[in-house]
Amino acid sequence: MEITTTTRDNATILSVAGRIDTATAPALEQAINHEIEQQNRKILLNFSAVSYISSGGLRVLLATAKKLKNPGDKFALCGLSAEVLKILKLAGFTSIFSICSSEGEALAGW
Amino acid sequence: MPGGSDTLTSLVWQSLPGADGAWINPLIRKIDTVSSNSYLIATPDVLLLIDPGGLPEQAEQLSRIIGESRRERDRPVFVFLTHAHIDHFAGVFAAPLFAYPETAVFAVQEQGGEAIERGDFQQTQAALFEKTFPPMKTGLSLFPSGWETDAGIPVSEAFPNGATVTITCQMTEGKRGIPRARLEFGTGPALEVFHTPGHSPDSICLRMGGLLFIGDLLFAANPGIAGICGWDRDALLQSISGIQAVIESGGIALVCPGHGKAFPAPDTARMFSAIRKEALALSDIAELNHERAERAAAFAEDCMEQVNELFTIMAGRLYYVSWVMDELGESDIADRMGALIPGDTIDELLEAFSAFAEDHHRGEHVPINLALKAAQVVAKLERSFKKEELMRIIDPSLVERAGRLLSDYTIMLRGFSPPSVLSGCALAPLIEAIVTGLSRPSCSDEDLLSSADDDAAFMGVLLSRIGTRPLLEDVAFSLDLEDRASLVSVDQDRFSDLVTYILEDLIGSGSDRIRVDVRQEDRIQFVTIAGNFLTGNPLKQSRKMNFLAGLCERAGGILTCTEDACQRRFVIELRLV
Repeated sequence: MEITTTTRDNATILSVAGRIDTATAPALEQAINHEIEQQNRKILLNFSAVSYISSGGLRVLLATAKKLKNPGDKFALCGLSAEVLKILKLAGFTSIFSICSSEGEALAGW
Repeated sequence: MPGGSDTLTSLVWQSLPGADGAWINPLIRKIDTVSSNSYLIATPDVLLLIDPGGLPEQAEQLSRIIGESRRERDRPVFVFLTHAHIDHFAGVFAAPLFAYPETAVFAVQEQGGEAIERGDFQQTQAALFEKTFPPMKTGLSLFPSGWETDAGIPVSEAFPNGATVTITCQMTEGKRGIPRARLEFGTGPALEVFHTPGHSPDSICLRMGGLLFIGDLLFAANPGIAGICGWDRDALLQSISGIQAVIESGGIALVCPGHGKAFPAPDTARMFSAIRKEALALSDIAELNHERAERAAAFAEDCMEQVNELFTIMAGRLYYVSWVMDELGESDIADRMGALIPGDTIDELLEAFSAFAEDHHRGEHVPINLALKAAQVVAKLERSFKKEELMRIIDPSLVERAGRLLSDYTIMLRGFSPPSVLSGCALAPLIEAIVTGLSRPSCSDEDLLSSADDDAAFMGVLLSRIGTRPLLEDVAFSLDLEDRASLVSVDQDRFSDLVTYILEDLIGSGSDRIRVDVRQEDRIQFVTIAGNFLTGNPLKQSRKMNFLAGLCERAGGILTCTEDACQRRFVIELRLV
């Protein structure tokens, strides 16, 4: 798994590529926590190159949603593959955070 | 013993309990299908190696230890095989020590010895693991045909390694008697050998002092092992009973299996009882040959992809419930939810299987290895998740489908067909019931209100309300079920699972409009389930499609799927009764 961090319109975008599994989920959590510690509290995860997410990955997403719930905080996912979207939908996660088709769509509301 | 009185330490010489002057140096491996444990015993008279294992490096390592022991005190070497399966002996072809009877004499039960001497790839399981080995002479034939004639009479035999062994064969005492041979190599401790067929015709157990070596007796009824060439259920039941009687007669402290760690003798009662129960249910088991291993491996991969998805969704649901409870300040309940599925352990298990399957596709493992790996993962998954508790919180359909998949795999690997209960059934009410179940919350507002006076009941209803999510709640759904009377032949549980999987696939792929209709042509009813707007990969020729088609077959029907840029359409064909 590879993570590339960029900023756009005051938001931090973490573009993730590869599989989010037991081995890689801690690295994703670490990268997100690092941004939150830097007071970057508008975080968008671009999952367009993520092929698989395990339950460990789902837990990282929930932990992030928990940390970013102050007024003014933003947290969203975009560009989900069909496989990942299906897991999030069937696990009931789509009601917890915004899921957008593209970075532009996600940032438009921020 | 360095490891304590109830265990053995690998690759360390330690005194052998109950056998004066005897030492043991065990080589205990992590359990796999490639190679067995090895146990090297040194007495003042002789060096005895029980199971040299399946790996050349293991045999070379043992050969070095034997060499060191012989330099200290030269003694004849005997190699005993608990049975002639390649994972217990194939390593020997790499080490010169084992090539000549002058340096090492192989002692094998007669049928096993003959299998090695004629290069029998079936009985030795070489064919199942896609291996070969050169035929090899063995020197000491244990329990040869007609041994009963000389029962109780000591017979001395000289061997090319310089040893003279006195062998006395007779049945063990009592109703549960099994053949026993006492082997004396000199004035030191004797070795007892018991003929315990079942796992294979040539299986033996060996005892010296307080140690009993049982080969693969413990695994003989496991899925993927029961049914292999030479397996015999009735003989296995008799052997278990006989060896349990030997243990009950006392003096045995530790039991040393062919794979895995040694364990205290009293534990065998529980273990043998479980094996007996498993074996009793296997009266019609089919032979596990290469062809069936290939089928099992393919089914394992189809199944595991689905199991992975179901377990991830179930874990996700629990995390979601836990998250909501945390938001409500109920952190104790939130923590309890997280413990219902050990998500990390399950992720690791499924990822390990996935990595193993990738190695298999690169040619690193043969089908039986993959099928056995799946059996190992399935057994661990079955132990890991608490079905009853889960079903009270998240959709029972998820839990039941996961349970059925795990059970189907085990049944299939055992050589049986997963149970299919075909009965005459009208499709319209069945489909309506499935759709209704997937459209409304598990607990109504009324359930919630009526539980408000009882804390525990309210919490139960609340958790279920949060944990279950009607699959069809945000979907425009239409049903067209004209024919309400005709009966089709169908397994209702599997049909329900199939329809649910299909609906999940469509909704997960972004469908927000789904139509189900049933029409009839000749003696066949066609159930069409179609959804719009697809974002997923094509299903055709995918593992998912293989899985769904197999499930449909078990439900009594035939499944086809067509798809284009804006629609995916499944058709299930079911025969009229």
